[in-house]
Amino acid sequence: MDIVSILLNLLTPSVFLVVFAGVLVGIVVGAIPGLNGAIGISLLLPLTFTMEPQIGLLLLGGIYMGGMYGGSITAILINVPGDVVAAPVAMEGYPLTKQGRSKEALYYSIFSSMFGGFIGVLILILFTPPLARFALQFGPAEMFFVSLSGLIIVGALSGSILKAAFAVLLGLFISTVGVDLITGSERFTFDSIGLRAGISVVPVVLGLFCFAEMFLNIGKKPGEQVQYRDQKIARMTVIKDILRQRFLVWKSGLIGTLVGLLPGVGTTLAVFMSYGDAKRVSRRDIPFEQGNPDGIIAAESANNATVGSSMVPLLALGVPGSPTSAIIAGALVIHGIVLGPSLFVNRPDVAFTFLYGMLLTVVAMTIIGAVGIKYFSYILKIKMEYIVPTVLVFALFGAYSLRNSLFDVFIAIVLGIAGAIFKKIQVPLAPIIIGLVLGGLIETNLARAMRIAGARNMPLWEYLLATPLSKGLVALVVIMLLVVIRMRHKEKVAAKEAKNG
Amino acid sequence: MKTNLAVLLSAPFLLAATGAAQAQDYPTKTIQIVVPYSAGGGGDTVARIVADRLSEELDQTINVVNREGAGGEIGIDEIARSDADGYTLGVFGYPDNFVLEHTRDTNFTFDDLDYLAAFDEMPMGVFASPNSSHSTLEEVVNYGQENPGEMIIGESGALGLLHALAFAERSEMQVTPVRYSGGGELMNALLGDHIDLASTSSMSHDPIVDSDGKPIGFAAEERMDMFPSVPTFKEQGLDLVMGVSRVLVAPAGLPDDIRETIVVALDEISTDEKMIANFKNAAIPYRYLDDSAVDEMLEASNSVLMPVIEKNLDQIKGN
Repeated sequence: MDIVSILLNLLTPSVFLVVFAGVLVGIVVGAIPGLNGAIGISLLLPLTFTMEPQIGLLLLGGIYMGGMYGGSITAILINVPGDVVAAPVAMEGYPLTKQGRSKEALYYSIFSSMFGGFIGVLILILFTPPLARFALQFGPAEMFFVSLSGLIIVGALSGSILKAAFAVLLGLFISTVGVDLITGSERFTFDSIGLRAGISVVPVVLGLFCFAEMFLNIGKKPGEQVQYRDQKIARMTVIKDILRQRFLVWKSGLIGTLVGLLPGVGTTLAVFMSYGDAKRVSRRDIPFEQGNPDGIIAAESANNATVGSSMVPLLALGVPGSPTSAIIAGALVIHGIVLGPSLFVNRPDVAFTFLYGMLLTVVAMTIIGAVGIKYFSYILKIKMEYIVPTVLVFALFGAYSLRNSLFDVFIAIVLGIAGAIFKKIQVPLAPIIIGLVLGGLIETNLARAMRIAGARNMPLWEYLLATPLSKGLVALVVIMLLVVIRMRHKEKVAAKEAKNG
Repeated sequence: MKTNLAVLLSAPFLLAATGAAQAQDYPTKTIQIVVPYSAGGGGDTVARIVADRLSEELDQTINVVNREGAGGEIGIDEIARSDADGYTLGVFGYPDNFVLEHTRDTNFTFDDLDYLAAFDEMPMGVFASPNSSHSTLEEVVNYGQENPGEMIIGESGALGLLHALAFAERSEMQVTPVRYSGGGELMNALLGDHIDLASTSSMSHDPIVDSDGKPIGFAAEERMDMFPSVPTFKEQGLDLVMGVSRVLVAPAGLPDDIRETIVVALDEISTDEKMIANFKNAAIPYRYLDDSAVDEMLEASNSVLMPVIEKNLDQIKGN
């Protein structure tokens, strides 16, 4: 099947309609706190059964792409990231909103998403087979070091290192609750069937970011609310500025693509890694967490880049790299399409139409986003007394809908109260999520490494350092640690100088 | 006055008529099928294919609801606890409920569920990694017996571990099982040569073989129609039959007439070519068992599993 006929296949009204509809649904569910792309996809999954496989896939792909972007809208405007991946965007975007620059922040977000989305999909189209082989090399040892490097990023975030350490330890602790995967023993379950299933990330995110923010808003007086201000800023100014930050957007897109390949950690790690890196290289005179657009550029381009790359192992090997791509895999299976190397031989029509069609989802996202920004900002005109209950209802619904479990709702509310207290005493919330996401991975992969090393009769460290890749990753961990220490030191010196005069 | 009297006199008959009509009318409202796994997996797919056709047959909306968590325990618990009125049904992969019941302190037992039908038969199998030097059962067993504990076998899910343990035990090998949280993760480890063998269902056959992994055998009675070139363990002299079968269940205690309506509808759709084609498309080996055949199958299977569970309880629960 040649490229011309694929393109002709794509340029039909039905494809455009499906792609736009998918992206729109994605943006909406992404923007609503508590809902995300994965939920949108599972809702619309049955609809695809009657469609041609490539059309159905593009609908789901559109939701995935749109959902990754949508979370940033509420993150920027009302400081409620709809998903973990939008947390760094909230850290930079909401301060901008408070300065009356919400439109600018939204432009940074949509255009960075566009660049990231293109990078991810282009790499998916061009390099799927070699990248899939690369992803396979990540065994227990490699995953252990990668997850460990994720913990170090916490040190790069602003604020007190002690409080950050407390937050990350709390996250690690939460990750231990439930039936231990490797040994099957129960930890902190107190004979509760809900706790036995473990505490999943979604209700924790909703609690810490969504409920906590809304709880704190309840006490505010009307005048304290952020006011809507129309801001005159041209789209091109923002695009030019994004491109002027040297390689920032490209590098973040690449980090997103590479880290996004890894099953389980992909998106969260990618977003925080590129955010931390942006902090290191930013040339602007604006401190981070006070509205530095570089943070938005890095986080948004990285998260949309993972859309393409998380599909690499799925298409090339039949191994889904993220919960969302697992549902997409289910949709393919129902159509009788076997994933793996044979896909490109047996059903090139489906494979290539989908790959090139994903470029269309980026286009659709950019158009809807860039045109919609004017209207998104109207959220700020709504009084807080209407926003708080609305967001809380959606968040309750979102916490429930993940596993249809009231227990998750309970978890979200408890963490909402805890989150509100943490915000008051300035304990950073993002490290809790990082600890929760990575804790399980670090532990299970280390346990697996110990078992395999035992079976192979070699000491653990020898197994951990057996491959060139794992040696390289150890070097990465050490370098990141040094960089973080240096960043911290510089900040301290700068703070001292500012104090002295 | 006359009319009133007529109404009064006929009231008991009317009531009786509505009573009868209620049962005959079943279903009068939306039916829920609870799936104790996330959307997109094999059990979910079976539920959706069946729900689609069954809803036409019963002329009523059927919603598939995913209630995942704790290896299926949460969803199965909910099915068992719900009202036996025919409006809550469940689809899951047997023997998940049986293994959970005997390895954990669950609220449900095997008999809390009424097994109405089974739709597929998916045997477990063993696959070797692409760079493995073993490609037949004989080679695997020879190496495993000569090097006790060195053969690393990856597994995921309760049945994955049981099958790995039974496989090792019946071929008199000592292996090291390594646990993965899902079929995808397990496949990744096998194809990347991080483990030697994988214990997983026949559903993983195509992606594994596509990337040069080697099928060692299936724990089935006979060779599968779908993969005629893969030998069974039995024909290679290893007596091991173990597999997943997606069953449709209701909470025990359904009223007879409602049960009858569902069972008749299931029998009716079981030969529907469109539905069977959907199973085939999804690479799920279709095998329909009606409400009495399914009981026989489950009883036979329980008696195979029980000794394996009892013998390895420590390892399954927490080693």
